Amino acid sequence: MIQPKEFDIDTEKGNFHYDTNYAFDAGVGLNEEVVRYISNVKQEEKWILDFRLKAYQTFLKKPVPTHWATEDLNNIDFDIIRYYLAKGQQPSRSWEDVPEDIKNTFERLGIPEQERKFLAGVEAQFDSEAAYSRMKEDLEKEGVLFVGSTEGLRDYPEIFKKWFGKVIPTSDNKFSALNSAVFSGGSFIYIPPGVKLTQPLQAYFRINAENFGQFERTLIIADEGAEVTYMEGCTAPKFETSTLHSAVVELVALKGAKIQYVTVQNWSDNVFNLVTKRAIAEEEAEVRWIDCNIGSRLTMKYPGVILRGRKARGEVLSIALANDGQHQDTGAKMIHAAEETTSNIIAKSISIGKGRSSYRGFVKMPKHLKNCKNNTECDALLINSDSQTDTYPAISVQGDGNSVQHEATVSKVSAEQIFYMQQRGLSEPEAMSLCVNGFVNDLIREFPMEYSVELKRLIDLEMEGSVG
Amino acid sequence: MQTINKPSLSSLFDDQNLFSSFVEERSWEPGWCADFRMENWNHFENLQSSVAKDENWRFSPKSRFSLSGVNQLTSDVDLLSLSSSVDSKSRFQDLNKMILDFPSEISRIIDLKGPCLGALSNYHLTSALFDNGFFLNTAPGIESPEVFTVRHKLPKSGSISFRKNVLTIAPFSEITVIEFIESDRDSNSGNLSSILHAEIGEGAKLNRILIQDAKTNATLHQFENFVIGKNAIVTNTTIHLGSSECRTEIKGNLMEEGAEFENFSLFLGCGNQLFDQRTMQFHAAPNCRSNLISKNALNDQSKSVFSGMIKVLPSASNTNAYQTNRNLLLSNEAQADSLPGLEILANEVKCSHGATTSKIDEQELFYLQSRGIPKKSAENLIALGFLDEILAMVKNEELNESIRHKIESRFNNS
Repeated sequence: MIQPKEFDIDTEKGNFHYDTNYAFDAGVGLNEEVVRYISNVKQEEKWILDFRLKAYQTFLKKPVPTHWATEDLNNIDFDIIRYYLAKGQQPSRSWEDVPEDIKNTFERLGIPEQERKFLAGVEAQFDSEAAYSRMKEDLEKEGVLFVGSTEGLRDYPEIFKKWFGKVIPTSDNKFSALNSAVFSGGSFIYIPPGVKLTQPLQAYFRINAENFGQFERTLIIADEGAEVTYMEGCTAPKFETSTLHSAVVELVALKGAKIQYVTVQNWSDNVFNLVTKRAIAEEEAEVRWIDCNIGSRLTMKYPGVILRGRKARGEVLSIALANDGQHQDTGAKMIHAAEETTSNIIAKSISIGKGRSSYRGFVKMPKHLKNCKNNTECDALLINSDSQTDTYPAISVQGDGNSVQHEATVSKVSAEQIFYMQQRGLSEPEAMSLCVNGFVNDLIREFPMEYSVELKRLIDLEMEGSVG
Repeated sequence: MQTINKPSLSSLFDDQNLFSSFVEERSWEPGWCADFRMENWNHFENLQSSVAKDENWRFSPKSRFSLSGVNQLTSDVDLLSLSSSVDSKSRFQDLNKMILDFPSEISRIIDLKGPCLGALSNYHLTSALFDNGFFLNTAPGIESPEVFTVRHKLPKSGSISFRKNVLTIAPFSEITVIEFIESDRDSNSGNLSSILHAEIGEGAKLNRILIQDAKTNATLHQFENFVIGKNAIVTNTTIHLGSSECRTEIKGNLMEEGAEFENFSLFLGCGNQLFDQRTMQFHAAPNCRSNLISKNALNDQSKSVFSGMIKVLPSASNTNAYQTNRNLLLSNEAQADSLPGLEILANEVKCSHGATTSKIDEQELFYLQSRGIPKKSAENLIALGFLDEILAMVKNEELNESIRHKIESRFNNS
């Protein structure tokens, strides 16, 4: 029989931090002055300040959504969080120019190595601002933009202003409003018509300071027929108190464009990770969210696609691993708003120890549409007897022109499976690892190579000692 | 996305005098019963002032359940009729008679719980103002399956009747209960709120069938709570054909080892009908099994909401729980919303749910048409085939035939 046993999460790779003297510090707590301070540091135009101030009012008005979400949200103390910290750095174009302490951080995480290996461009964000941002020169010549949020709005308003805050309105939820008030950093990307990036762009997010809130803002626009893959990774050191990460990510795929957005989230287990992610897909465009959540204390993240053009396609592939003290509340939203649109959601979760994983989904098809299709599969695997899993999908379909199917299963690794492999000479932990890897294997294959190898390793580590 | 739970019931219930005069008329009741009503009335009034958002009303146009057309409580005493297949040793009476003649036998109704799946204010209103209901307490060890039939007639239009029904099955008894909700005349198209408390003893078997064929301007609330004992088996089949809007809440509590709960439902929507169904398969003990199939066929502008939850407590190891929701959209104006849910806290479990919503398969339709069957008839045949899985649960041939007949005539009128 499989016995439950305690075991640790491996976030050791990211568990270190350096003392840093910040040139800009918005202090502790949130009020209108903090919002003005951030805007002032960035020397923003008035419309952006107005946008921030309005968002701040919305944030105050919105309730914490505990009528459907976990009560753990009430443990976030907005008054002890630091909302803006920066060294006054401009994003460096060359690795040598990056300040020594920040460079050390990213060296330890292997950022420049990865860049040399296979990336088309990389941006590394340290607390509130990007420390390093570089892109291959030939892409620059083709008109590809890969900048931070401040530069994006300041230098290219004709491209970004049109879509900024349009995919996810400020008032979408309390945390999108908070982000809109105090956002800083993140990636603004524009791919011109017909440009197809063969190598991915990457951003790396790092929280270094205690009680710090990271509020990056990402907007990716793929113009007609363009293709891009974007990857983000995140880590933070283990502090005693909790930390907040609340991002807003907006994707716009114009006619025939393809965007693939890959996230590997491995925050340390005191981070509240409350992220709003949504995409608009125009005619024949395709948006794929590939989302993997291993770290954080509480993650609430439901990437969505608004299928606005005929034959648009949306896809969410999601893996969640919840260990002791973790709650992975993830899912997907598919809003069908044009004919012949298709969407696919595949979510797999693994709960270990006292971990809890939840799937929350929303699929909507209004009545004037024809031939819309959705397929949703969510499978949960429970490892120990204290593990918990929930599924809360919502499906709303009108009219006789569309079809939806949803399926969910919950199971555990059976004693027979383990026994079978033990018979053939595998140890029990090896057998368990093999079962879990088999459970998520078809999804892991969808990740870029480097990530899938890393993920397999992470899952192996997480499984270590889970059986005894 | 969330519906706001506004106090929106008919102004009839704002009036404190309504309750006091109701209790006065029933001054023959024992004190504990009056206290029980008072307690529920207070709960109801407190809930009226709350404005919290409620996930349990998601997707439901709650205003349609506000009973806005109701202007009086029913004064008709002749709305309930009971009959049983054989001269039974079981106690089978209407609730008013029980309160009058055997108050000690039913004083425990104050401890019975409801399904509590969202319509709390109406639940407490029903517990405060119930005017009748049936009471069935079976004799132990009934061997040949006995059939008990209950007919709930709707009150006159503009009025409302509240019912509380208590069903207790003694250990190792095996019975069938058939309930009808019906309007025998056009004028019997008032509203009904009805609670069923069922307790099933060890090793007992209950086959319960509800056939609801109310006139299409009635508003119905139907609460059903089954508490299932060791190795007991409950098969609950509900067939909803009528009413303007119907909210049902059904909870199966698997409280002791080896309990089984099967819950089948069918809704055929026509016109502007609304069917709002909330279910819970509540697993509290090991080695239990539950299964749910909910099928909705929707014509015209009809709408269905299915919200089902499988909850497995840490104590409920070796649970097998399944849930299936199938919606067939037969018109472009119809709407089906599904909220299938799982909350699993134990790990030796096999659980799954599936939800699909689609239209009639073009190929099936073509096949029938190519054999000379007109399109409309072919569609009806396919829809009837879709519902057949649930209809097959009604084993009594005569009854089964009459339901099929009703469904067919509804198709022909739509």
